[in-house]
Amino acid sequence: MVKGIVKYISQFVITLVGISFLTFCLTYLAPGDPAMMLLESGDRIVSQQELDEVRAELGLDKPFWVRYADWAINAAQGDLGMSYSAKIPVVDRMLESLPGTLMLAAASTILIILYAVPAGIISAINQNKKIDYILRSLSFVGVSMPTFWLGLILIYIFGLKLGLVPIASSKISFSGVILPATTMAVVVGSKYMRQVRLVILEEMQKDYVIGARSRGIAEWKILFGHILPNAFLPLITLLGVLVGYLLGGVTVIEMVFAWPGLGNMAVYAITMRDYPLVQGFVLWVAVGFMIINALVDVSYRLLDPRLKRGQQ
Amino acid sequence: MKKSLKKSLLVGLSVLMCGAFLAGCGNDSNNAENKDTLKVAVTNFASSLDPAENFFSWVVMRYGVGETLTKFDKQMKPVPWLAAKWSVADDKRTWTITVKDNVKFSNGKPVTAQAVKESLERAFAKSSMPKTFFQYKSLEAKGQDLIIKTDKEYPNLPSLLADPFFLVVDVQSERDGRDFAKQGPIGTGPYVVKSFTKELAVMEANPNYWDGAVPFKTVEIPSIDDPNTRAMSLQSGDVDMAVNIGPGEIGLFKDNDKFKVDEITSLRVVLARINMNGVLGDKNVRDAVISAADRKNYADVLLKGTFLPGSAPIPPSMDYGFDQLKDPNAYNPDRSKQLLAQSGWTDTNGDGIVDKNGQPLTFNFIVYNSRAELPLYAEALQADLKKIGIDMKIQTVDYNLLDGIGKEGKYDMLISNIVTANTGDPIWFLGNYWHTNIDGSNPQNGSGYSNPQVDQLLEAATVEFDPAKRREYAIQIQQLLMNDGAALFFGYPKTNIVNAKYLNNVVMYPSDYYWITNKISK
Repeated sequence: MVKGIVKYISQFVITLVGISFLTFCLTYLAPGDPAMMLLESGDRIVSQQELDEVRAELGLDKPFWVRYADWAINAAQGDLGMSYSAKIPVVDRMLESLPGTLMLAAASTILIILYAVPAGIISAINQNKKIDYILRSLSFVGVSMPTFWLGLILIYIFGLKLGLVPIASSKISFSGVILPATTMAVVVGSKYMRQVRLVILEEMQKDYVIGARSRGIAEWKILFGHILPNAFLPLITLLGVLVGYLLGGVTVIEMVFAWPGLGNMAVYAITMRDYPLVQGFVLWVAVGFMIINALVDVSYRLLDPRLKRGQQ
Repeated sequence: MKKSLKKSLLVGLSVLMCGAFLAGCGNDSNNAENKDTLKVAVTNFASSLDPAENFFSWVVMRYGVGETLTKFDKQMKPVPWLAAKWSVADDKRTWTITVKDNVKFSNGKPVTAQAVKESLERAFAKSSMPKTFFQYKSLEAKGQDLIIKTDKEYPNLPSLLADPFFLVVDVQSERDGRDFAKQGPIGTGPYVVKSFTKELAVMEANPNYWDGAVPFKTVEIPSIDDPNTRAMSLQSGDVDMAVNIGPGEIGLFKDNDKFKVDEITSLRVVLARINMNGVLGDKNVRDAVISAADRKNYADVLLKGTFLPGSAPIPPSMDYGFDQLKDPNAYNPDRSKQLLAQSGWTDTNGDGIVDKNGQPLTFNFIVYNSRAELPLYAEALQADLKKIGIDMKIQTVDYNLLDGIGKEGKYDMLISNIVTANTGDPIWFLGNYWHTNIDGSNPQNGSGYSNPQVDQLLEAATVEFDPAKRREYAIQIQQLLMNDGAALFFGYPKTNIVNAKYLNNVVMYPSDYYWITNKISK
């Protein structure tokens, strides 16, 4: 057990170092100059002297290795540096946007589960019947719609025409999260619904289901007692990937709904070549994915008695 | 599968989906009735509010928190604000600025010359930017008089002091523990920061405001970056006013009796810098290119009236003789063809492209596309040039590469969207792009353009204290640049502020600094 945890943590650290180094390399190699971006945001023609001063102020005049080493040493102590564009510590800037991302991710995940799981099950148990075709067609439409377009249509109908929800809250609120989460649920949930359907269908074709049916066990008992528990594992893996993706922020949704989240922050950081903030964001996404993966692993052990007993 | 199971699953699904959506719905916005709160949709770039960091001072001023000694009027001329008057001594380097004696900070402390001195010193100490405007040798406070001794002559110092970098803050309050970045500075504006994030600022009335009543108890300023959402927020009444409604949406508000649109030409110009070292070094070819560009059509049709057609370097939003300048290269494609023929460019092989010595007339136009109008301009010009037999190739680059390309002169034509006079004085802009560059003396001019007469006028304007003469110099410089075909001036973007009709005194200024004032009321 202890050995396993140590192994897991060392993998965790190695991955983080690798990712941070790779990001640092990419930002270093990418064209563009943070000092120039900052100065030009003032809508002025910039002199070389100004550029040199700001570069020195930001430490951009130091060699690559020195910059990376400085950053890594400070990061190991929990200091991710100062954001060039926000002029506040990276951690503070990220903490401003993190609650919005967490709330949107949570609300979206709940709606996705509420929509995709029942719809996927209904579709599977009615395979090739009218309701299956209808749900599959709807999910196809859902997957195909661009998020920004759907978002704007929902704002138009429910915000502007019906006045049921605020159009853009710019702050975290329950009423403000409904439309962005619904948009996510429709687009991402439609994809998840198709995956749920497929997993259930695969389970339904297995021998133990045919055996149960031949023994005259009620259909609902087979579904809830046998098929669903066995389908949990692949579904949870897929859900883990989905939640990891949502924790990175969803830029288009955040932009359309003026929702305060990490996605917009990251795009702005990249546009402004705000390297410390980009590094901080990438670390967060990496940590988020690794934690979700760890939780998925743990849930396997809890949900699958075979793994508990160390059996195949 | 039993029918009852299917039915119950179906019903359950529908209920869950509807329930999840409708839970918590409800919109209590009825802004017209709420006389105490003003809501303004903007696009905000600042993540904190220390006026000495980056360009966050713009936001401090736009949100009605900070004010400067002088401010720009609608013609970008400096007028008194916190200062009552100013004068310059005969040495032209000693300025006396008299601060109004009734001005108070939002914490109730009177604004003295000493407080202004400390505020200016803070700005210079914390940022490298202020010294690019001017540098002082000494600052001295005598009662309400602030005496600024400068290192050289700055004829337009009153304009420079109107830049948000120099907004007056209570430095003592910072020493006493106020965090300007997160809590906002203690300024002299009608509103004080209550809470601030990049996405939402909440202001409250300054109880000690010195310049009349403050009409709103609270001002909420959400940053809504998506132009469609911003427009819908205004349409729905979620906000009372919005800054910069996009070209696609502005039509919804014009001629709509529920809204008022204040649209003006900004201080920006979109231009193509022309390299004198390549094929465009031939003046006839340059003139032909400029004459072939149907700039009125671009502005009115292509950009739906959100731009004004260009001809001169300085937009008409400032009084620098826009109407009296003569455009020698007004739209005339027939003249363009004649000019090309005069230089020996004719279509000898019938392929639609003029040629000379067996070489077709072709050149590149470098653009970036993070501003939506720029690729449109480029494509429209490409089509117009094709009509006169020129093959212009568009090369799209990342915005980050533009500065280097401009300085190194690695272009035939290069797009720019630039503010011509953020301190009301366009001489700096004109000099940067077109003053002769000798061995890197003026690195921004990578075009090879050089006209001794222009240089002479630029140098004279830089030290001229008489505004009328400076204006005259600027007009002469512009005319020379236009005569030389130094650049193709596509147009000037308009900027706007749109508000619900029940709001009074919402005004857009060319300087774009004064969005929220105490004059705005319901």
